[in-house]
Amino acid sequence: MSRNKLGVIGAALTLAVGVLSGCTGGEAVDVGDGGGSAGGAGGVLNAAIGGEPDQLDPHKTSAYYSFEVLENVYDTLVEPDADLKMVPALATKWTTSEDQLTWTFTLRDGAKFSDGSPLTSEDVVYSYERIIKQKLNTAYKFATVKSVTGPDPATVVVTLSAPTPNLLANLGGFKGVAIVEKTNVESGKVKTAPVGSGPFKVAGYTSGDSIKLVRNDAYWGDKPKLDGVTFTFVKDPTVALQNLRSGQVQWTDNLPPQQVKSLRDGDDPVVESAPSTDYWYVALNEARKPFDNPEVRRAIGYALDREAITKAAKFGLATVNQTAIPKSSAFFYDYAPYSHDPDKAKQMLDQAGVANLTLDLMVTSEYPETVTAAQVIAAQLKDVGITVKIRTLDFAQWLDEQAKGNFGGFMLGWLGNVDPDEFYYAQHHSGGTFNFHKYANPAVDKLLDQARTETDQGARKQAYEQAAKLIVDDASYLYLYNPDVVQGWSKKVSGYDVRSDRAIRFRSVALGK
Amino acid sequence: MTRFVLRRVLQSAIVLLGVTLVVFLLLQLVPGDPVRVALGTRFDPQTYEALRSRAGLDQPLPVQYASYLGHALTGDLGVSFRTGQPVSWIVAERLPATLSLAVTAVVFALLVAFPLGIVAAVRSGSAVDHAARVFSQFGVSVPDFWMGIMGIILFAGVLGWLPPSGYVALTEDPGRWASHVALPAVTVGLVTASILTRFIRSSVLEVLSADYVRTAEAKGLRNRVVILRHVLRNALIPVVTVVAVQLASLLGGVIVIEVLFAWPGIGRLTFDAVQARDYPVLQGAVLLVAALFLLVNLLVDILYARLDPRITVK
Repeated sequence: MSRNKLGVIGAALTLAVGVLSGCTGGEAVDVGDGGGSAGGAGGVLNAAIGGEPDQLDPHKTSAYYSFEVLENVYDTLVEPDADLKMVPALATKWTTSEDQLTWTFTLRDGAKFSDGSPLTSEDVVYSYERIIKQKLNTAYKFATVKSVTGPDPATVVVTLSAPTPNLLANLGGFKGVAIVEKTNVESGKVKTAPVGSGPFKVAGYTSGDSIKLVRNDAYWGDKPKLDGVTFTFVKDPTVALQNLRSGQVQWTDNLPPQQVKSLRDGDDPVVESAPSTDYWYVALNEARKPFDNPEVRRAIGYALDREAITKAAKFGLATVNQTAIPKSSAFFYDYAPYSHDPDKAKQMLDQAGVANLTLDLMVTSEYPETVTAAQVIAAQLKDVGITVKIRTLDFAQWLDEQAKGNFGGFMLGWLGNVDPDEFYYAQHHSGGTFNFHKYANPAVDKLLDQARTETDQGARKQAYEQAAKLIVDDASYLYLYNPDVVQGWSKKVSGYDVRSDRAIRFRSVALGK
Repeated sequence: MTRFVLRRVLQSAIVLLGVTLVVFLLLQLVPGDPVRVALGTRFDPQTYEALRSRAGLDQPLPVQYASYLGHALTGDLGVSFRTGQPVSWIVAERLPATLSLAVTAVVFALLVAFPLGIVAAVRSGSAVDHAARVFSQFGVSVPDFWMGIMGIILFAGVLGWLPPSGYVALTEDPGRWASHVALPAVTVGLVTASILTRFIRSSVLEVLSADYVRTAEAKGLRNRVVILRHVLRNALIPVVTVVAVQLASLLGGVIVIEVLFAWPGIGRLTFDAVQARDYPVLQGAVLLVAALFLLVNLLVDILYARLDPRITVK
């Protein structure tokens, strides 16, 4: 979720993401007309993304824009396939000790960084220790890691303090835990000219304008068909679409949401969507009266018409959900107790002795869908006698206010989650780092702690379902919807698929004429 | 003259010093914490503290300012919170894009505003005059981003003559630079042209009713001579100031237009820096803009003396 911040923005304006993994092994169809255009067989794909990466150090950035680029430059030990199952990447296999506390990974033979130097267990140890010791952005993913060692160049041993059933997701969920090169990091070049072992390497970075990637011929996997990928930063979705239509770019995830439906019906550009693992929600400040009363929060749950909110905020490009985890996930829990029932809501508020309630609802212009949704929410809550004061802030200020607890309620989204722990722990555990709305339920704490280390998948799923039920019943979060990922590309592009985790993979894409 | 220039340079330096202090203090008043933005929703208290101390934000304010100023005096404007690159380098990298956009826009504006403003004044009340007034009203009241989007849809979409957005350096490929700069420059230039047209029109009108113009006409000079030699020379003096101020403000970057057209200039840099609360970059960008403003003003003052012998520099 560190990619949350900008990622969500992507979602807001654009929704999008990517795809491909499904084709990794399979042959993408080479539509090339064989004639060979000027620069060689593969050609360079121009991709327009909604903003500029803050920096390209995978361990230090939290911007989704950075990860759109880095996905194609770096590798992790394992990586999610199209169904978000962890599959081999730099590690070809792994074993787990009986007590679940020692994991031994075998590294791929012949893996190299793009500068030609070999990638060994030393690099894995360096990368993980860097994250842990310097408390970098993804340090939380190593919370149970006691030590990382490399007994020989092809073996990495990870020792844990407690069983960690989601270790693979932690070590490979996204490129924030990528394997970096020590000399590249120590020279400081990693910020603008990172060296990875992925299918492409960074060839140029023009601040404010573009990042150029070229094929990494030292890549261990199937050689990419493209000669390179150039990412340009186009903030305005209308402009990005014009670029796609006029052939200046061949791929973008920055499409005007209101046009997506009609674009999907056309065949050039190709526009596709896939359900994402993101979710959007409203949280009420439980440190403030009367929102400390679960009855009041539940009443608001009944007052909301999620269908209408989704329609307004996402132009229908989302699936209504009263829990966090989307239908496509193995951890989906089918539970929807809140019907849209203003009368019931009013009754509940009366019984709770609440009248003339005013809700200070904080939203951010960084994610315009929250601003739109807030207006619909305000209208719906007015029907049950609650006055909503919408406060629209820029994201920096929003985060500040949130940290200070200075809000009645807020709407935000979480992006790119894979494991259920990521969906619940930081948000709903009383000691969670993102529990700014001050939810506390000892039963939920216990279930989340237990599920964290539960190695039996069935029992783990059950624990999360119990926790989810309590969270929904307590209305800790009022879940609204799971948005779709929407991306568009030129008809000349083949071998690309939209991925539900928003990873953008160009490794098996080909460009025809 | 030399003393005048030296005094003005000294004054400018003091103003710049004031700018650094005001900007620094203002940034402290702006709500929002750069480290929180950097972490986004993935907030962890330990990571937060580690990042804060790496950025030097855990130091007391006077210490932060003194350190900033000390470094700035040696030309070191610090490093960006976001990218870790030197600010002076980042700002310098963005300057050519903004410079080429601003200059092209002003040249376009002058080409439109001069003939239009002068004709409108000389033929006051004519169809041209009305057209000029409608044009300038349109230019100042229609938002530039809307004009930009319409321009993109028309020239890049429907007609397909120009690329919708992006930037190519003039030094890299003048032809492609021109095709990329055309739309944003015309969009920005239309607004500037509207302002200038109005100003030139009223300035010329004012001079037309002056005694010496009546005298010139009375002694039988041809209309052209009166306009060119007597009217314009006098009417254009205040116009120089307005053009200079317009140019100076465009040099600060046109945020909306640069963002819309994906133009990697100072305006877009400022926008991104504000979003991320990237204080060093913001301070650097504002400092640069202030310096450019002062420089343009200084040049105008010198130019004045050349344009109008009545004005002497003391």
